[in-house]
Amino acid sequence: MVFQLIESIGASSIRSVYSVGEALKFTSLCLIHMVNPRSYNPAMRMVLVKQIYFTAVTIIPLFLMMAFLFGSVIIGAVIALATEYSLQESIGSIIITFVVNEFAPFFTALLISLRSGTAVNTEIAVMNVNEELNTLREYKIDLINYLFLPRIISGIISVTSLSILFALIMLSSGYIFTLFYMNMDFHTYKQLLMSAIEVSDIFVLLFKSVAFGFVIMLIPIYSGLKTANSYTAIPISVLNGMVKLFIALFFIEVLSLILQLL
Amino acid sequence: MLENIALIKEVHEHLATLKAQEIARAMLKKISQDHLSLYRVSTCSPTEIFYIQFIRALMMNEDQIMIVTPFSLIDNLRNINVIIENIKILAHKKHILIVDMLSNEIHYKGTACNTVK
Repeated sequence: MVFQLIESIGASSIRSVYSVGEALKFTSLCLIHMVNPRSYNPAMRMVLVKQIYFTAVTIIPLFLMMAFLFGSVIIGAVIALATEYSLQESIGSIIITFVVNEFAPFFTALLISLRSGTAVNTEIAVMNVNEELNTLREYKIDLINYLFLPRIISGIISVTSLSILFALIMLSSGYIFTLFYMNMDFHTYKQLLMSAIEVSDIFVLLFKSVAFGFVIMLIPIYSGLKTANSYTAIPISVLNGMVKLFIALFFIEVLSLILQLL
Repeated sequence: MLENIALIKEVHEHLATLKAQEIARAMLKKISQDHLSLYRVSTCSPTEIFYIQFIRALMMNEDQIMIVTPFSLIDNLRNINVIIENIKILAHKKHILIVDMLSNEIHYKGTACNTVK
């Protein structure tokens, strides 16, 4: 009984270590292809443009609306709380830290994960089940260059640019609240933010957006690749991929918070 | 299907998309199938899909192309002569090998290809 328990723990540990090793190998392969100029052939560039369009451009109307609504309400709540606790002096720093460092990249990552992460996971899983990936291999088409790299790069570009856009819209819409709640003019609001923002805030926003963008595409692709050869395995693959993706997003978020605290 | 065919040259020879598509269109035109350019795979007949696959194989650098059991690749194929004629038009510089079962031998009688048992 005890031996069986130890054996099962050992077997699952070996499986876990093996799958982590496989995932790391896949990640490093993608990174190597990313820095190799020969990966960027015309077909890959065409897929990249389409991916950026579908990931970043088509979402813009919904994204702008959400950034505006969240911006005015959340910044309003932050200002109200800061006023309640007599922290008016630090309002600028609080808004910048909350919006630029935390909310904008994380919210963008969640939105892109739900919209594009699931789509990519399903797409790769369907291609895998339909043997389309094998057909591409037969024609000696590198799957990383043609399918995975454009999606990963588009994820990085989309999440980074949308996070910046989200932060800008959120900060701009926050002015509406300060105008009505604190009767603050635009120049004062602008000065408040400009004096609070530091290079490290921009760096944190960029670092987190790049990391989020990378995992948002990498994990669904990897999960799609590991789909068993049947249609019923596709929803299971998407489910597993999304769970792993959300764990990775929270891990990056926690890691960035720890690094900021150090 | 144009993008589908052009992809091979874009990847292997780093040919610009428009140039690769031009070559693909010319190949389809040779066998009067240029209407397939705008089709998707779901709207193509089995014969049309075969032509697409064959042209895609021609885009590769390999000198030899092997077609295995064309009668199982193309549903309801009765006369292989038309296919062989089109293969000849498309692939005059490549060596094409059709591998089939003896039970299908009768279909190849009278065709302009060498038969080896």
